[in-house]
Amino acid sequence: MSTTTTNNEINAEPTKSFFVDMLVRDIPLEQAILDLVDNSVDGAKSLVNPDGLPFDGREIKIDFSKEKFKIWDNCGGFDSKVAAEYAFRFGRPNNTPRTPHSIGQFGVGMKRALFKFGSHFIVRSSTKDDSWQIDIDVPTWESEAGWTFPWGEFNSSEEISTKNPGTEIIVDKLRAEVAWKFSTIAFQNAMIGLIKSKHRQFIADGLSIQVNGNHIDASSLLLLTANNSNFRPGFDEFTIEEEGKAEVRVKIIVGIGFSSPREAGWYVVCNGRVILDADRRSATGWGLVEESTDGVAIPSFHNQFARFRGIVMFDSDDSSRVPWNTTKTDIDQDGPVWQRTFSRMTEMMRPVINFLNELDRDIDEHTREHSPLLRFVNTASTVKHDVLPRQNTNFAAPERAAIAAENRVKTVKVQYSRPVEDVNFLMKELNLGTAKAVGEKTFDLIMQQMDE
Amino acid sequence: MNSFRRIDYSLRPAKHAERRMLCDIFRRLRPFGRIEDYSYVGFGSVWFSDFSLFHRALGVKKMLSIEQAETARARIEENKPFNIPVDYRHSKDVLPNIDWEQRMFIWLDYDDPLSMDVLADLRTIARRAKSGTAVAISVQCSQAQEIASASQDTTPNAPSAVDRFKTNFGPTRITKLTEGQLYGWNYGQLSATLIKQEIETEIASRNSGNTSPEILFHKICDIQYEDGAKMTTVVGVFYAPSESGNLEQCNFSTLEFMPPQDAPIRIKVPKLTIREFRRLESQLPLNEGMQLNLGTIPIAEARQFEKMYRYLPNFALIES
Repeated sequence: MSTTTTNNEINAEPTKSFFVDMLVRDIPLEQAILDLVDNSVDGAKSLVNPDGLPFDGREIKIDFSKEKFKIWDNCGGFDSKVAAEYAFRFGRPNNTPRTPHSIGQFGVGMKRALFKFGSHFIVRSSTKDDSWQIDIDVPTWESEAGWTFPWGEFNSSEEISTKNPGTEIIVDKLRAEVAWKFSTIAFQNAMIGLIKSKHRQFIADGLSIQVNGNHIDASSLLLLTANNSNFRPGFDEFTIEEEGKAEVRVKIIVGIGFSSPREAGWYVVCNGRVILDADRRSATGWGLVEESTDGVAIPSFHNQFARFRGIVMFDSDDSSRVPWNTTKTDIDQDGPVWQRTFSRMTEMMRPVINFLNELDRDIDEHTREHSPLLRFVNTASTVKHDVLPRQNTNFAAPERAAIAAENRVKTVKVQYSRPVEDVNFLMKELNLGTAKAVGEKTFDLIMQQMDE
Repeated sequence: MNSFRRIDYSLRPAKHAERRMLCDIFRRLRPFGRIEDYSYVGFGSVWFSDFSLFHRALGVKKMLSIEQAETARARIEENKPFNIPVDYRHSKDVLPNIDWEQRMFIWLDYDDPLSMDVLADLRTIARRAKSGTAVAISVQCSQAQEIASASQDTTPNAPSAVDRFKTNFGPTRITKLTEGQLYGWNYGQLSATLIKQEIETEIASRNSGNTSPEILFHKICDIQYEDGAKMTTVVGVFYAPSESGNLEQCNFSTLEFMPPQDAPIRIKVPKLTIREFRRLESQLPLNEGMQLNLGTIPIAEARQFEKMYRYLPNFALIES
């Protein structure tokens, strides 16, 4: 028998340092910061402004350097009861009160970030009628028995107080690899880019976010449309209900935008938080094979689809119902909510893909300069995805034949071969650069002559 | 403009001055080790002017010229002033394989504007450079290439120069950008910033995981000049924290061409006649309390000359 047993029981209690080490491993640094922003956003969600933009006046300021990380918000704070009973538990107890539509749902974000950044942290928060603070030196905490954090003395300041409710988190004695990353402009720019895309909707709704003093502007996806109804994005809104569970409202938008391979693909948004950005993997339908016929239902992504834009938004009071994974970096493909939405997404995607294939054929036939369909697309106006009328409608785009007829000039491609020597001779005589140009120029010249 | 107010740029007087300034900077690295034991890596082209100067003035013997124009091989071999090995491959293929255990002066004097290839070369250097290795990077900065490609693309709604630049360099390098930053000295400043950022980022990942950093980068100066095309150069030195004392002893700030604070050094070649050159030179260096006797020489040109004369070429007039 082993000597480590007492009372016939084996000690399986994790050591704190092992636990902390495991906790911080499965998340990239960028993601850990986004988790903290998510917590602040949840605070803002419970303080929604009745008039004007929902998050007007709410601010989040993030500052990091080689020495220190700090995030501050004026998003309402949380009281000492929540701190004592829920916020610092590892994992969220079942009876935790939930913010409706919350995005910081998994109860690990803040702790994970604190331990990941460094070995000393201060968390202070104030609501309208309560204030508290903790000040933890991690090595000391690890060496002590028990899984509790002692209260510290709250230092009231102008930044956080019962008059100005909010939360402030400061971490220093940073881990070496974290300190170096925090010191670079590249990391700062990466964070700005991530927050700009992941918190797009909250920023558009008035939330002000600053990273090292840089204010992050709102951005929208632009979709092309024409004033008449023959060219417009597709829009569908429906509700997924399951017995005994909170409903999920789903909104799908498909359409085309400017040609940009980096922006093309699906955007998946859960309770306002962008989970996938310009996704072009099979997870969102690209390269989908039709089961019954073995035919291709949706082709794999290719640059001719660089104009494709698809946006799918899920909203539920119960944040465990929206289809994201625990790190909010991908969708949960197996859940019923995603499955049901996914088939509708591919249905709505199909006509857009067809149109982009048509556009590609038209450019092939007429060239980029003369394609009537490309000209039509390029002269369309733009609309922001978040202001589209809430009206279910299919994606509409003009038929290629109809556009060609409108443009009257019907063209046909002429292809022929002639001896290289002769073509080179004409190229020189006509001062042209390519065989194609020789073909076109000689045609135009004879046309002029015959027309006279 | 009157022709006597113009400069014959084929003589490349500003480049000449830059070369001599770099020579003075490199000489200051003595606290890190014997200057003649450093090796020099540069783009010698067919002129090898930098090699000649550093060999003659600094006594550097280990030298390597990188020259991707394989087609000019015969001509280059013919023009080599000393026994200088030339590697006829692209810098990105050569740099990873040179001996980084030595202290080096590296001058990557590109003809073109900043590109991702240039940044990749910088990462290669920052990943390996030993404490005491100095690097100068020169890029052309008259205007970004994206300006031309945007204006040539006539498709409606084609991406703007700013969009193209952002796409080419990526969102972690550029967040905010205006078109004005893609022209002239503004563009030079942007290029210099991107160069420094790239080095800092690579150093951060090299140091990552070590509580005490392995290597740091100290920017010595930025140099801007124009012999026809605008050029900008970033000069700096890598050093280990344990050698920060050596860095201090280099006393770069006491070099007389070094501007106050962090301003770039702008090399302006004074527009003077040979007679005026001689007149000023005979009074320099000025004895304390004395003033230059200018005659008809414009004061601005004279001041410029006083700052630069040690670095300017000795012009010989050849009458046409």
